[in-house]
Amino acid sequence: MDYQVILIENNRVMLERLSTVIQRTKGFSLVARYQRAGDALGQGAVFKPHIILLDIDVGENRGLIHEFAEAFQNAAILCISNHWDSDGASEVVKAGAKGYLIKPFSSEELVDAVGTFGKSGMAFGSKSLAFFSPKGKSGKTTLIANLALSLAQKSGEPVGIIDADLQFGDMAVFFNLTPKSTIVEATRDIKFLSPITLNSYFVPVPEMENLRVLCGTRKPEYAELVNIQSFEEMVRMALSLYRYVLIDLPPGFNPISVAAAELATKTYMIAMMSGGFELVHMRRAIEIFKAWPDFKTRLGTILTRVSPCNSAERKRLESILEYPISAILPNEYILVSAAANKGRMAVDIQPNTELSININKLSDDIIGLQGMRW
Amino acid sequence: MEEGRRGSIIDVFSTASAVGKTLIGINMAAELSSQGYDVCLADVDLQFGDICNYLHLMPERTIADAARAVKEAPESFDAREFLDVYRCDDISFSVLAAPIRLDEAYNIEATSVQNILQNLQFNFDFVVVDTTSAFSEINLMVMDMSTIITFLGIVDFIPTIKNMKIGCDTIRGLGYEDSKIRLVLNRSNSQTKIELGDVEKLLGDHFYHVLPNDFEAARDSIMTGVPLVHTRNTALAGAMRELVARYTNQAVEQVPEKRGGGVSSWLGRFFN
Ligand SMILES: Nc1ncnc2c1ncn2[C@@H]1O[C@H](COP(=O)(O)OP(=O)(O)OP(=O)(O)O)[C@@H](O)[C@H]1O
Ligand SMILES: Nc1ncnc2c1ncn2[C@@H]1O[C@H](COP(=O)(O)OP(=O)(O)O)[C@@H](O)[C@H]1O
Ligand SMILES: [Mg+2]
Ligand SMILES: [Mg+2]
Repeated sequence: MDYQVILIENNRVMLERLSTVIQRTKGFSLVARYQRAGDALGQGAVFKPHIILLDIDVGENRGLIHEFAEAFQNAAILCISNHWDSDGASEVVKAGAKGYLIKPFSSEELVDAVGTFGKSGMAFGSKSLAFFSPKGKSGKTTLIANLALSLAQKSGEPVGIIDADLQFGDMAVFFNLTPKSTIVEATRDIKFLSPITLNSYFVPVPEMENLRVLCGTRKPEYAELVNIQSFEEMVRMALSLYRYVLIDLPPGFNPISVAAAELATKTYMIAMMSGGFELVHMRRAIEIFKAWPDFKTRLGTILTRVSPCNSAERKRLESILEYPISAILPNEYILVSAAANKGRMAVDIQPNTELSININKLSDDIIGLQGMRW
Repeated sequence: MEEGRRGSIIDVFSTASAVGKTLIGINMAAELSSQGYDVCLADVDLQFGDICNYLHLMPERTIADAARAVKEAPESFDAREFLDVYRCDDISFSVLAAPIRLDEAYNIEATSVQNILQNLQFNFDFVVVDTTSAFSEINLMVMDMSTIITFLGIVDFIPTIKNMKIGCDTIRGLGYEDSKIRLVLNRSNSQTKIELGDVEKLLGDHFYHVLPNDFEAARDSIMTGVPLVHTRNTALAGAMRELVARYTNQAVEQVPEKRGGGVSSWLGRFFN
């Protein structure tokens, strides 16, 4: 059966235009349309709609979302508006809407919106996680790729990775993806995007339907094209699409890593044990984050290639760092690098290794984290 | 001050971290100094520079002080006032240390670094510059100023090779003479299944020099704060000294032909 759609649109011309789009969309039937929300509330039930498209550019309609949700319990309410506004989107989702669509929309966008929001609705209480490392070769990308997979498997919720290691992003190689669009295009277009269209800039990971990746630049010089403000807007919008947004970053303090850390629900600082001065660097970097009044909850730390990887070693490292460690990962060089070379992840290939167990533990902690408003 | 002989700048650069830039920069400086040259080693890994860590130096003045001074009084600026000295038997060279504080590091401007390096060039035969792994404004400026760019790579897993390829292509795109860029492979015999020949084909160039993997020697050098070339008895030290000899020898070297042709192996599919 087709999706039965009720359309509520105040503007007469727009009502006609959107009606035509819905009628022409395969799999969708327009069963009723109204200019006034009150009419839809009073008369719509007889049509047993699956989808209600509600114009929220009429201010009072926002206040009716809750009533719609009560009155049409089997329908998904998608708000339609002529612009995206992340604060507004967060409000309507709280009130009971499932998603948000920018008008005028095309048939494809309508189909995508229902596909994306239909099942679980727009993500709410989403978490953004920034991964910061003082120096490179910290095991950061390896961890993010594995953790994202683990989060996707365990939570069953949509997970997005943003590769913001602007010059040398490796995420596409890790998952063996060939992106048509990257962070450059997503940030360039952000003003014109809605969550639905942004979703299409993220590349799906094969055989993992709830994990998508926004890949990094194709050339280092494109890094300059990524505007920081657009990046911030893009992350906020991504939070309406994915329950978990994981952000890979270039090493050190730079405009993009600082912006991501400021924005993120939680920042993890990562270093790899390599017999050098990684703990010294980490201590210095932690001092910077102490400027946050809530750094104790907002900043986590992760050490990779820890050997022996046990609680005694963890305590020893914590006393050197003078900071709690959120997770330690063992030395699994052969496993993680062989997996990445094949576009696969260690947690998937060998779920019972200590590495996978520790990553899964971390993902449990993250699932338990308090979410943030977007 | 703007006239007279200017020394060479040797930039040590890579597009991946932890490939050995700092270790090799230190050993270049050490070897050049034991050959009798006046050498300064500059730490332009501003935020997390390791030179003083690896050499066990406790600097009193850093590049951050130099940057302030050169900005305030460019006319009277003398970079020598901001250097430390590393000494060990016949090895002796100056060190321009990385900043102590991260906020100092974050705020140093590329033009200040440029002015400092220019000043050092008048006072030293060689200025060896250790950098970070990115095409940042400062690193690009150092590349422009450099006599030679030592582009270091290692072959560990596919992403690193991808970044080495991107780095090579980007540097070539900057329009320098081919002879300015020296591709050096570090840790050549570390555990990996990737064929060196395939990597060279992909990069379209031979490695100018190859340094072996010697984990223990590298670790000991960092633990003791003594450059590898001081002891001279390891293959790694030997290979480093050869590299420096190739930089200082006036003898004309045979330039190998460019590598060409397709990358036949499975490596190729990542770079189509
Ligand atoms: N030829 C080698 N054989 C064995 N180990 C090596 C070799 N070269 C470097 N190493 C080791 O690799 C690690 C990284 O080296 P180093 O700190 O010099 O790299 P880097 O390129 O300066 O890194 P970063 O970009 O993080 O500053 C060190 O522990 C060093 O001892
Ligand atoms: N837990 C681990 N044990 C051993 N090696 C690891 C571990 N995690 C990552 N590596 C290896 O370290 C290198 C750098 O990892 P990567 O994730 O690319 O770091 P970054 O993104 O911080 O540069 C890779 O060769 C990777 O296979
Ligand atoms: Mg990475
Ligand atoms: Mg270094």
